[in-house]
Amino acid sequence: MDIITITQPRQAHTAMNASVSDDDDVEMGDMQENMDINMNIDIDGSRAKAEKDIVVPGEMITDDPSWMRGHGTYFLSEKTYSAKAGTILRVNKLLSVIPFKGRYSPETGDHVVGRIVEVSNKRWKVNIGAEHDAILMLGAVNLPGGVLRRKSEADELQMRAILKEGDLLNAEVQSLFQDGSASLHTRSLKYGKLRNGVFVLVPSNLIIRAKNHAHDLPGGVSIILGVNGYCWIYKTKLNQHTSTGVEQSKLEAAIKSSVGGYKPGAGTVSITSLEEQSSWDIYSDKNDAISNSIKETISRYKNCLLALSHCNISINETRLAKAYEISLGYGDVNSLVNYDTQQYIGDDLINSEKMRGSE
Amino acid sequence: MGLDYDISTNEQNFVLEALKQDVRLDGRKLNEMREVNIKILPSEYGHVEVSLGRTRVGCKVSSEIVKPYEDRPFEGIFMINSEISPMCSPFFEVGAGGSGYGVGSNSSQANEEVLISRMIEKAVRRSNALDVESLCIVAGKKCWAIRADLQFLNYDGNFVDASCIAVMSALLHFRKPDIEVAGEDVVVYDTNQREPVPLSILHIPISITFNYFNPNGSEENIKGDLNNELILVDADLLEERLSLGSMTITLNKNQEICQMMKSGGLNIDASLIMNCCSYASKLVDELTEKIHNVLKQDAAVRTNKTEEKELRVFNER
Amino acid sequence: MSRFELYSPEGIRIDGRRWNELRQFHCQTNTHPNASDGSSYVRQGNSEVICLVKGPMDTTYGSSSTKQLPDSPVLSISINHPAFATMERKKRPRNDKRLTELSIILKRCFLKTIVLHNFARSLIEVTVTVLSFDGGLLATCCNAITLALIDAGISLYDYVSAVTVGLYDQTALLDLNSLEEIDLSFITIGVVGDSDKLNLILCEDRLPLDKLERLISLGIEGCHRLKGLMNDTVRQVGADLLSKKQ
Repeated sequence: MDIITITQPRQAHTAMNASVSDDDDVEMGDMQENMDINMNIDIDGSRAKAEKDIVVPGEMITDDPSWMRGHGTYFLSEKTYSAKAGTILRVNKLLSVIPFKGRYSPETGDHVVGRIVEVSNKRWKVNIGAEHDAILMLGAVNLPGGVLRRKSEADELQMRAILKEGDLLNAEVQSLFQDGSASLHTRSLKYGKLRNGVFVLVPSNLIIRAKNHAHDLPGGVSIILGVNGYCWIYKTKLNQHTSTGVEQSKLEAAIKSSVGGYKPGAGTVSITSLEEQSSWDIYSDKNDAISNSIKETISRYKNCLLALSHCNISINETRLAKAYEISLGYGDVNSLVNYDTQQYIGDDLINSEKMRGSE
Repeated sequence: MGLDYDISTNEQNFVLEALKQDVRLDGRKLNEMREVNIKILPSEYGHVEVSLGRTRVGCKVSSEIVKPYEDRPFEGIFMINSEISPMCSPFFEVGAGGSGYGVGSNSSQANEEVLISRMIEKAVRRSNALDVESLCIVAGKKCWAIRADLQFLNYDGNFVDASCIAVMSALLHFRKPDIEVAGEDVVVYDTNQREPVPLSILHIPISITFNYFNPNGSEENIKGDLNNELILVDADLLEERLSLGSMTITLNKNQEICQMMKSGGLNIDASLIMNCCSYASKLVDELTEKIHNVLKQDAAVRTNKTEEKELRVFNER
Repeated sequence: MSRFELYSPEGIRIDGRRWNELRQFHCQTNTHPNASDGSSYVRQGNSEVICLVKGPMDTTYGSSSTKQLPDSPVLSISINHPAFATMERKKRPRNDKRLTELSIILKRCFLKTIVLHNFARSLIEVTVTVLSFDGGLLATCCNAITLALIDAGISLYDYVSAVTVGLYDQTALLDLNSLEEIDLSFITIGVVGDSDKLNLILCEDRLPLDKLERLISLGIEGCHRLKGLMNDTVRQVGADLLSKKQ
């Protein structure tokens, strides 16, 4: 067969290369290095691919049968092939391929933000952007009236009063089912229904996993960077644990119960402050009063988050704060939706990090 | 299709294991077709029933004079109607694929039906088996519309092959009334008055369907180089349901491919496909021969009658 | 046969290519990051196609047509072929059997290519939109779907690349444009990865049987080239993403 000649435009690629220049590992580096320790595998005949090599579907990774095959791979007799486009990850003897992109796959302990899509028998179905909807059992939420209370028949009938379709909440992945879907819980004061802010969606692979995903940012604004890429930017809660706040909420709950008929647990005498907090007001649908300046700050943070996502820059709270700082130099909040401006913010951020790194 | 036809794992394994040992449940070899039985109904021209094992398909050809399509004034009209009714098998629903779109238009049984009708369409109509230009009577005004109605009588796999044989033998057998054209006027003679004329058939496309089975995992199929996929000819319903892919080739006696479709399924090495093609061409020759034989026998039966008629006409005169 | 000289005695085709030349091939992935999990854009000559992949997701998220299926498919493919994509703006029937057929073929093709056991109980929804049609509809769609699935991070055994091959007299011509497609008999073939294994074959015209082998071998060769080009793009995009990720 003769050679087939093809003319292909290359300009797109050169443009990409220009922006690539060099890569330095800032955040991800140490995490990867821990896994790099056991990397001296016998590379017989240069067949085995090295760590962090890019592989594509159908490409052979190794013909050494001693490796264990992990996610994103398949094998035939002794050869292991990649099933995804991504980078190779080796943990001890386990070979897996981390795809460049893909749906979020939940892991136990992840702090996620999700949206209720269905209320069903003793559970809610929550969209967390994963392959399957997560499940939030009625028993895994703080019931109004205190953690010590057992869930009752009345609760089962009133599930919509707690969380209904369309509600956003933040939760922790409690466990995983056989098929990879998650079971959530909100049995902590930092989890629960979300209010007083805006929802932002970024690709889940941009979120850097950290110990803590809820942060208070400068400007009276807080953020929850869900590991699944669902983020919530909201007004920082003030006086959370002061007695006045508790009093206030109790009062509110009492009023609510008198208006909306019977609510289990409402109006009962509370014993601990935790109990107060888990009263009905944590499931309220009403936003607090938010000043215009806070609203503006929230939108600015939102646009900064989108700018980072537009530039494919991994996101953590320090970067977001830095991006916010940079964005102040680019004028009004509404000018930040411009893709050019977003690109500038991204570039400035990378440059400033490089400067810091070189000092 | 097959929504309520579940095959248990044991049955599945049994069939597969048998196939691996070159045995099919009905005792055939892998490359053996079921017996083809072409029955021409004596009542009229162009009514044929074909059975392939327990699969049975009827085809009735009819003709009428209509106005040709605006954009094709010199051509007649040829239609194949192949709607599958639930009569042949409960897996097919009324109007699932063909005209009555809408309800379950995306479901797999509708898909199956679309594929079957498209394949017959391409095999017979698009390949110009019937010379549509010969159907023209007065250009732009009048032409013959030939309509082949397929009736699927019983389903036991491999509808395409059976219907292809049915349509072709019905077309070959069909006679349209003789006509005489004088300027714009057309005189149609009754079949008693003048001997009806056959259609002008350019070639006889015959479809052969192969089904694939994979004795190993799908990894082997993609990456391995064993190339030992099992290839069956003329699968019955059970085999069709279990197979992991099929390929239909339509050939004629002149060694021409009229249509060929391998829609996904197992990946098959090019050389194996070539083998299938040459084997198919052998089968096509046999089947074509068979169709001709059946037609000849039928013609022999019918000529006696016409002779009788001619004699009578002679006497009256 | 035609008023054009499809293949000159010097061996030049109507658009200036030789018999064994592909049209200009350009592809991009991740073109619609906000609208889908994976997306791609493929241009083969003047044929342009975009493909969006949603999923894997819970079957309840499917659009109304797919979610009511009794046997809950794992893959649904729909092809949009708007009137503006072709030269003549013919109004197409809403349920074009030809497009249905193509989508079934593509669906069956990718069902064997996706590592399905990873996607129990979930749905992958693929939408292909033809922006401009100039021959090789099935082939271009197939390539676009492969890229979009890879972009969506869905496990595939290998690439599926497809191309058309036509027959002019005795010569096999690679990658036909629509002018050639109208006048010549052609087949579309799809190949998995770098192997000689054929995933899909579609031939709708009459063709001498003894020429088939020639066409298939040229087609395989062409598919391998396309796979190479797609591979380059995927790696390029991957490297780009990685470098920015830090």
